[in-house]
Amino acid sequence: MTSAGGLRARFPVRQGRALRGVSLRWALAAGVFVVVAALLGLALGPVDLGIVAVAREVLSHVPFLGVQSSFSETEDAILWELRAPRVVLGLLVGAMLASAGAAYQGVFRNPLADPYLLGAAAGAGLGATIVIAYDVGGDGGLDLRPLAAFAGATLGVAVAYLLGRSVGGRETTTLILAGVTVAAFFTALQTYVQQRSADTVQEVYSWILGQLETSGWTDVLIVLPYVVVSALVLLWHRRLLDVLAVGDDEAASLGVPVARVRLLVVAAATLGTAAAVAFSGLIAFVGIIVPHAVRLMAGTSYRVVLPLSLAFGAGFLVLMDLVSRTAVAPAQLPIGVVTAFLGAPFFAVVLRTTRTVGP
Amino acid sequence: MLNRPLATALAVLLALVLVACGGDDDTAAPPATSTVTAETSSAAEFPVTVEADNGSVTLAKEPNAIVSLSATATETLFAIGAGEQVIAVDDQSNYPPDAPVSDLSGFQPNVEAIAGYEPDLVVAAYDPGELVDGLEKLNIPVLLQDAAPDLDAAYEQIEALGAATGNVEGAEKVVQSMQVEIEELAGSAPGAAGATVYHELGPDFFSATSETFIGSVYELFGLVNIADAAADADAAGYPQLSGEYVVSENPDLVVLADTKCCEQTAATVAKRPGWDQIDAVANGDIVEADDDIASRWGPRTVEFVALIAEALAGLGQPQ
Amino acid sequence: MMLEARDVGVALDRVPVVEGVGFTLEEGGWLGLIGPNGAGKTTILKAVAGLVRYSGSIRMQGDEVAGIGRRAVARRVAVVPQIPVIPPDTTVLDYVVLGRTPHLGYAGSPGPRDVVAARSALARLDGAHLVDRRLGSLSGGERQRAVLARAVAQDASLLLLDEPTSALDVGAQQQVLELVASLRADGGLTVLSAMHDLTHAGQYADRLLLLDGGREQATGTPHEVLTEELILRHFGASVRIVADAETGIAVVPLRPPVEAEQAVS
Repeated sequence: MTSAGGLRARFPVRQGRALRGVSLRWALAAGVFVVVAALLGLALGPVDLGIVAVAREVLSHVPFLGVQSSFSETEDAILWELRAPRVVLGLLVGAMLASAGAAYQGVFRNPLADPYLLGAAAGAGLGATIVIAYDVGGDGGLDLRPLAAFAGATLGVAVAYLLGRSVGGRETTTLILAGVTVAAFFTALQTYVQQRSADTVQEVYSWILGQLETSGWTDVLIVLPYVVVSALVLLWHRRLLDVLAVGDDEAASLGVPVARVRLLVVAAATLGTAAAVAFSGLIAFVGIIVPHAVRLMAGTSYRVVLPLSLAFGAGFLVLMDLVSRTAVAPAQLPIGVVTAFLGAPFFAVVLRTTRTVGP
Repeated sequence: MLNRPLATALAVLLALVLVACGGDDDTAAPPATSTVTAETSSAAEFPVTVEADNGSVTLAKEPNAIVSLSATATETLFAIGAGEQVIAVDDQSNYPPDAPVSDLSGFQPNVEAIAGYEPDLVVAAYDPGELVDGLEKLNIPVLLQDAAPDLDAAYEQIEALGAATGNVEGAEKVVQSMQVEIEELAGSAPGAAGATVYHELGPDFFSATSETFIGSVYELFGLVNIADAAADADAAGYPQLSGEYVVSENPDLVVLADTKCCEQTAATVAKRPGWDQIDAVANGDIVEADDDIASRWGPRTVEFVALIAEALAGLGQPQ
Repeated sequence: MMLEARDVGVALDRVPVVEGVGFTLEEGGWLGLIGPNGAGKTTILKAVAGLVRYSGSIRMQGDEVAGIGRRAVARRVAVVPQIPVIPPDTTVLDYVVLGRTPHLGYAGSPGPRDVVAARSALARLDGAHLVDRRLGSLSGGERQRAVLARAVAQDASLLLLDEPTSALDVGAQQQVLELVASLRADGGLTVLSAMHDLTHAGQYADRLLLLDGGREQATGTPHEVLTEELILRHFGASVRIVADAETGIAVVPLRPPVEAEQAVS
């Protein structure tokens, strides 16, 4: 037994290492995964540009290498104006959905939480449906769907939050129930609006199932700042998510301002998610599959789960998009269908292999 | 005693009068695509049995309270001269403008609401499940005319409506004039055969293959439809393509059927990333079609064919 | 004086749960809160930890608890809850390091010193061998040691224990209490505990506070508070108090007299 106040005296400092965050091995694996996924996404598609030719085209932009590209103007346009922004959008959206999913799971201590838990998806769907069905902004030639979806998502979460809090809700259960309520209500509204306008049903449905088709680099540039800021805030909080794992009361007794942390994390995750779904529609399962897969492979601490979810989520969605673009080429599958198709069996595997359910 | 010259003159005069009167019955009809006055020989045509997508339908007498839940059928009814027999049309039937539009929905039909009009014939293009059954239970004759797969099927539908409404001649005239005009238009651009076309249903690249009605129009001109490569992807013939596929296929002609729903024009299309590489865009070979005309299979199909023929005439010439 | 409470009241959902409670606790002392279920023991602990609002005054080392910031309170007070949340896949080391949170910045990460503090806390509780085990694989007693270690790692001078032995077997119960006692003996640790086992309360605490219905019913040394009469009145239980030099004090439950049973049936 050590003497009073002499806690540290007996143990030389060299015995203490900082706790391991993401190991070098995993950081490398994640990096390779992202790069390979991005390259595959650029190289493959419904139009066969030739992998080698794509590589040469990409390298031709690297200075001092002297590589010449063999692309025609059309091929150049396809690669850089259609495929590249789509791949980058996929990276951003995938990273956002996966890390937001991990953050929600941490903040609500619920392995089934995803970024749509508090009504973000239902709100976004309602916003987009209203614009599509009532042709809002159509006369000016503006596409107001992203803006409406973004507004709807943030509104949905805000309402859920206010509702959950007013019911005496520091408790996560109350918030979750409020979120379910809001989501149900918004979904009902969305369905009603959708059915009232029969000739736009296809477009609404199409939007909801998700797509990464872009209008070019402008879409990407709009989404980018939201995702970056949101991801930074979430990463900053990863240590606190570990503390929240022991419950609100214990975390509070450890000095954590629980309600404030929850609000900040939810706000950041929602903002990023809203921006992502504004352009990509409601892509499901990414926020659940990726964090769980990361936990199975690399451990449950959010020091590790958050950054790795970010990276693996990015690569994952790009690969999913590749499948949706090539499986029935030249036709496309809605990407939400692809992720759900792969997500459900994966989920079953996760349930069977985790001994105990818990983030 | 009539003297002979006078009798002959009278006879000739009488003969002329007889010929003139008799001639009225089979003088030429008024212009084909406008409404035709109804022939009043209906008594001889009823009861009549016509074929529709819900089987054989028998009408005991000429209907005078027709409800149309199909925008295409509405156009046809008015074109063949049955307009005065129509008492209500659905909320999507916007042509002709003086058709009696109601709140009835063709996509989510309410049998009770329809019955409230006490119709003696209902024409529909879509049955979600209980429309035909419901109307049959109320003994209301219903003709279900799904989207026609090609022009011949469309002609059959027009003739069926003619028989069912006592406007057989009117229907025949419409069909004949359509056939004549379309044949003429189809032959007007022989040089365009083999050119590629992209038909756009929506800015998210939904298209129509040659299996569809509108796709069969392109076949008339010998055009190659780039959506046919994706025919397996959608049973009904409406696959969703990807932007890069369209760009790489470099269609010679682009037809926009989303000008009303989604505000697409030649200008908006030219701004899409990578689309400036497409020949059709560079040469201004972009057809801005009226969504309605491009999605129906009635008499106004001729207008659509004319639109395409006009575009093909100037194909490949930069503007 | 470590703790000075005066006329403390707590209302939950506007229902008064604790009223007019007062006590003092010197540095290095051990005050046991006893009383029947629902008497308000846990509530008082929460008030001292700054987790619920209270009326009256609770001063910790001279400062009013309500006025100290949450993190500052956490640096002075460590709470061992009755039913701790045990994330099953977390390692013991990661779990104990959580105790260092009040000493890190808002979102700070633990550094080498914090890891050292955690390891030595575990060592103090004879748990050094548990360092890399998953929490889910521990026995009840081992788990309780991990929880205690987390509290110790907090480097707080006041330890609040809420029913620390309720889920443990007899051996583990003794182990835990002995560990706490030795921590106190090493110096620097004051203990305020809510205990349902009266014998344990009598054997380990210096002084006891009997609560019933949210109010203070008796204060004093175990010998003063643990009387057959008080226990009968407030717990409704018949007991025999056994006190001698070896056991210290023991509260032995007696079966009620036979006549009462017959009267009931």
